[in-house]
Amino acid sequence: MSRLERATAFVSKPIIRNLWTWVVILFFLAFVMTPTLFVLTYAFTNWGLIQSDVIQNQEIMSQIWTAIANSFEIAAIVTIVDILMGLPMAWILVRKKFKGKELLDTLIDMPLAVPTAALGFSAAIFWGITPADLTNPLGLKIVSSPFILILLLHIIFTYPYMVRSLSAILEQIDQTYETAGQTLGASKLTAVRTITLPLFRAGLVTGIILCFARSLSETGGTVAALATIGNVDFNTAPTLIDSLQSTPALAFTSIVLIILALVLLVVVAIIVKRVHIPFRKVWPRPEKILSRGLGPRFKDATSVLFLVFMVLIPSFFVFTFVFTSEPSTSTDWSTFGQSLVNSFLIAGVVTVIDLALGIPLALYIAKNRSKWLPETLDVLVNVPLIVPTVALGFSLKLFWTGGTPVTGPFAIFLVMLAHIAFTYPLMVRNVTGAVEEVDSTYEETARTLGAKPIQSFRRVLFPMIKASILAGAVMAFTRSLGETGATRAVSTTVLTAPNYIVNLIKVNQDYYAAALACIILIIISYAIMLSLRYLTKRKRGVS
Amino acid sequence: MDLEVRNGEYLCLLGPTGAGKTTILRIISGLIRPDHGKVLFDDKIMNKVEPEDRLAVMLSQTYALFPQLTVAENILFGPDIRRYDEKVKNRTLADMLDLVRLTNRPDAYPNELSGGMMQRTALARALASGASVLLLDEPLRALDARLRISLRHELRSLAKSMGITTIHVTHDQDEALVMADRIAVIREGKVVQVGTPGEVFDNPATPFVANFVGQSNFFVGKVEGKSESTLVRGGSGQLVLARPCENAMGEKVVVGVKVGNTELHKEGEGFFDGVVERILFEGRNIYLDVDVPGLGRFSSKIPSWRLGRLAVGDRVKIKWSADKATVFAMPSDGLEKELRVE
Repeated sequence: MSRLERATAFVSKPIIRNLWTWVVILFFLAFVMTPTLFVLTYAFTNWGLIQSDVIQNQEIMSQIWTAIANSFEIAAIVTIVDILMGLPMAWILVRKKFKGKELLDTLIDMPLAVPTAALGFSAAIFWGITPADLTNPLGLKIVSSPFILILLLHIIFTYPYMVRSLSAILEQIDQTYETAGQTLGASKLTAVRTITLPLFRAGLVTGIILCFARSLSETGGTVAALATIGNVDFNTAPTLIDSLQSTPALAFTSIVLIILALVLLVVVAIIVKRVHIPFRKVWPRPEKILSRGLGPRFKDATSVLFLVFMVLIPSFFVFTFVFTSEPSTSTDWSTFGQSLVNSFLIAGVVTVIDLALGIPLALYIAKNRSKWLPETLDVLVNVPLIVPTVALGFSLKLFWTGGTPVTGPFAIFLVMLAHIAFTYPLMVRNVTGAVEEVDSTYEETARTLGAKPIQSFRRVLFPMIKASILAGAVMAFTRSLGETGATRAVSTTVLTAPNYIVNLIKVNQDYYAAALACIILIIISYAIMLSLRYLTKRKRGVS
Repeated sequence: MDLEVRNGEYLCLLGPTGAGKTTILRIISGLIRPDHGKVLFDDKIMNKVEPEDRLAVMLSQTYALFPQLTVAENILFGPDIRRYDEKVKNRTLADMLDLVRLTNRPDAYPNELSGGMMQRTALARALASGASVLLLDEPLRALDARLRISLRHELRSLAKSMGITTIHVTHDQDEALVMADRIAVIREGKVVQVGTPGEVFDNPATPFVANFVGQSNFFVGKVEGKSESTLVRGGSGQLVLARPCENAMGEKVVVGVKVGNTELHKEGEGFFDGVVERILFEGRNIYLDVDVPGLGRFSSKIPSWRLGRLAVGDRVKIKWSADKATVFAMPSDGLEKELRVE
């Protein structure tokens, strides 16, 4: 027996397989779940402190409630705009055939690969009325309200999630329902509205949860945008947590934010699933008129214009900035280099751990449906996605250190753990979905043909879910690379690239350097995205 | 459930959907563990043996050809895993391709193959794995009707020529009758009858088997006479004949007779009369439903050349020869429940 065979035989022993499953489950519970929600225990152990320092302090309380209200209002409005504008775009992507469709498909995803700190700066100099020392001749300079600026910013990076969720569902909806409706005399609009739209519910829930949670959670871009327009008093919940110093106040805000986010999202999921879209009534004549001629064209034109002017141009406006403003001389580029190294190191390690421990958990969940433990894990794994990352970061620090400041390698280690907590669910979700799509008879047949479980995974299942694993890895990597809030909540000494950009804007007011750093970060992110995409395409071509 | 399969035998597990046929295959292959009971291969208890070590290969109704592998790679999956010698592998591949007539398509991917080719590739892959038991889960189901019938013979002769013990699950009674050495009729997880196709067809153990393997008519009555044949009297006084039986005089019984053995005549003697309600033309045969007052519907399958003589609304006499009718004790749950196919 060769060494490989002996190893294969060893890991195939039922006892080793069970042990490994338990290791993975325990990892998830101990390193992802518990630290994420640990802050909730603070309410029980330190209620006295919360009461004396926070609840009885009128000023802090009003600050906290205003910030939380801002966050929820922005998230709600952003989600509604995303639904209204994302639906026609999903339609174009799935149902229409035209030249350049692939380009459009890529364009939609582009903001996702850009760290939000860069997006925040870019959007702020495009829309916002900026301070005098920030020379920017091409900017629109029409938005002075920080609320509206953050709204516009959050649309940029939530819109792709909504379009993706909706088009994924639309692809699965059989078009023959609609055709049947039309042959029964309904106009196109009537058929779509009464037959196809109600089938969207599942996609809508996913889209709403992704957009809402992302908007609620976003820190880096929001901080960068607010600093760019010289705002001092407007806060969202994450920016407030980012700026608060006292532990009880931080804990209180995090707890309220986590609980509200969880409750609200459960409510949304129930409402969207239970409540019927009450549009049974039809108006044949006006709907027939709207189904032809200018109506649909107007709709398509609006959604494309929205993508270009509300999403793409604000995302990449930063490129114009370096050509129109004065170069600065005092920038310390070696620090930026170090922050890039940190960012990639963290994102790389995080992605590898997500892969190693996320795939087994996904396999366990997908293959043991209908048992209570995997079903519970399947629900729990969503929690870190919904918890705002800055609250997550604070909670995690509280769990591991009790809230004392951390520095050095241990701080980097904690930042990695925090990034794992919110990227791990992305990996598990992606892989679980993919495994469930694959008919279990493939692996079963492989087993009866003589393959041990690990062999049947490697030779049969893995080639079939490779693309989804890679998609999960790309998501985890880019999310980690772009994260600001969690990193800052864990430690202010760990300098990642997005944090460096936020500091350039907020502390140094070195806008030129910030723009250049944004551009470099964007280019590197794209280089990685494109090469990964190229790799997957090539591999898919072979199989 | 107690079932013994002989070495090299081609056994069909026949039963309606949901009878537990596939579950039995999965237990034999080790893909699921039985809650209780034992699986024995040659007197060895296999309950704790992993599927890959059982040498019992499963062929599912969707074939489960690995889409990322070619025909040749699929066939060599088992030999690769078991690390056969390169020479042995090459010879196995050549033999298998030859056996299933795919010699010119070894480099094709599954999605480039026709349904029949996929079926044959899956079979070749199963046979190449060196297994001693072949488990076929409705292997012909996904094929179109004509191909399904032509592959019956091929599948059986391949398995027999390899001397491999085969358990073939199907809900198609014709398939089981044509292909099996023995048939095990399964219902609700229990073996109702095991026997050669002839035994199961001609000597059904229960009314359910009589009706599931070749449709039957049923006549309920009491035993009134026992000599070289049994005399049974129905509720409205009709008298019918059946084979000798062991039921007591006066016992309530069910007489079952295959529709193909139910004769219809316009003239002459019959057990009772009825009116032709419906005639279905099936090509070689015609299928007639006759309404018998007081007894319900009786069906008959007769050669088509007799079609001209019968028409809807005709009054016909129904009879059968005593040696074609089987007497069953009245099922305890009633006849209707006994016959239900669920």
